[in-house]
Amino acid sequence: MKRNNKSVMTIVGLAAVIGLLVSSSLSFGEEAYDEDTYGPKAPILWTKPVKGVAFYHKTHTMDAGLSCDNCHDKIFEMAAGTAEQKADFTMASLYKGKYCGTCHDGQMAFASNTRCATCHVGVKGYNKLTGAAPQGKAEGKH
Amino acid sequence: MKIDDFEKLENEGAESLPSEERRRFLRFGLAVTGVFVGGSVLSLTSARNAESAMGPVPASGAFPYSPHYTMVIRQNRCIDCERCMDACVKTNNVPSYGYRTTILQQEREIGNGVKERVFMPVLCNHCNRPPCVRVCPTTATYKDKKTGIVMMDYKRCIGCKTCMAACPYNARYFKEENRAVDKCNFCFDTRISKGESKTACSAACPAGVRIFGDLTDYGSEAYKLIHKPEKVVWVLRPETGAMPNVFYMND
Repeated sequence: MKRNNKSVMTIVGLAAVIGLLVSSSLSFGEEAYDEDTYGPKAPILWTKPVKGVAFYHKTHTMDAGLSCDNCHDKIFEMAAGTAEQKADFTMASLYKGKYCGTCHDGQMAFASNTRCATCHVGVKGYNKLTGAAPQGKAEGKH
Repeated sequence: MKIDDFEKLENEGAESLPSEERRRFLRFGLAVTGVFVGGSVLSLTSARNAESAMGPVPASGAFPYSPHYTMVIRQNRCIDCERCMDACVKTNNVPSYGYRTTILQQEREIGNGVKERVFMPVLCNHCNRPPCVRVCPTTATYKDKKTGIVMMDYKRCIGCKTCMAACPYNARYFKEENRAVDKCNFCFDTRISKGESKTACSAACPAGVRIFGDLTDYGSEAYKLIHKPEKVVWVLRPETGAMPNVFYMND
């Protein structure tokens, strides 16, 4: 009984140490991402012309090393959602080198007519990122 | 002779058995074993011939229906915009708790921390050997003799849902409003029989994922796509032997 208690305590202690380590490394990661330097942490979500596309500033700035003025304001305006109000915000424009296609041309970054689902997270991805419940589908009902 | 009388009998012993009797016994044993061994050896031989090595696409001219409707899904083009699902709901009056077509999602790591997201549209595969049709006790679901579309006769359906259990593709749901099982019929009643060339989902797709067509029409896009020698074409759950008519490929 005594031994059992001891081993339980050891396991609890180990778990606590691991938990501390994990949480500290997580909080370290959060601190390292500075929104003023790298842009908003939350993904930019587009719903037009199709739902939904997710753009992560982190992937492009912190990971790929771009600075704000590489894209703003020439390719994209600072205000989120400005581009999708324009009629030419389409894949066809991207293939011509506009918007994302400025870099996503197969030279600088993967071509915009490949790897569709990398940026297109779809309705499922949109619902997941915004926390919206999937429409009309009862969970687990088949 | 009763069992008590047997007990009273003296044991004759095996050594006094005539060899004729032994031989007959052994022969009988061998015959029984032979039947079982022979049966299992035969069952190890594939019932199908080497056609399965040629992929799921039937050989040219081997299409039992005319027109032989099919759908080719160019999977990597799918972006889950779900316009197909919306169009299907509107066209075929699908309630919110069911679906005739849906999109499955899978995310997996493909190395170096890179994640790949795959969207997979699914619908009724209009199988050549449909398990749902085979199990239906009232022939409410049947394979249309002309087009090969797996159809529903709502009036005959008793709602036993056996077809839902039999379907390898989870492509059926019970529609409360009809008190019957409902499923994709390639928009036959709502569009195709009215002269439209595409199903609602196919017409709504902005990315050219769903190519509806006729396998007997060698000029059709669907036929050309799945007969490109450089492309890998697959079907879902081929092991069921249902011979589905929805083909998948990456463009």
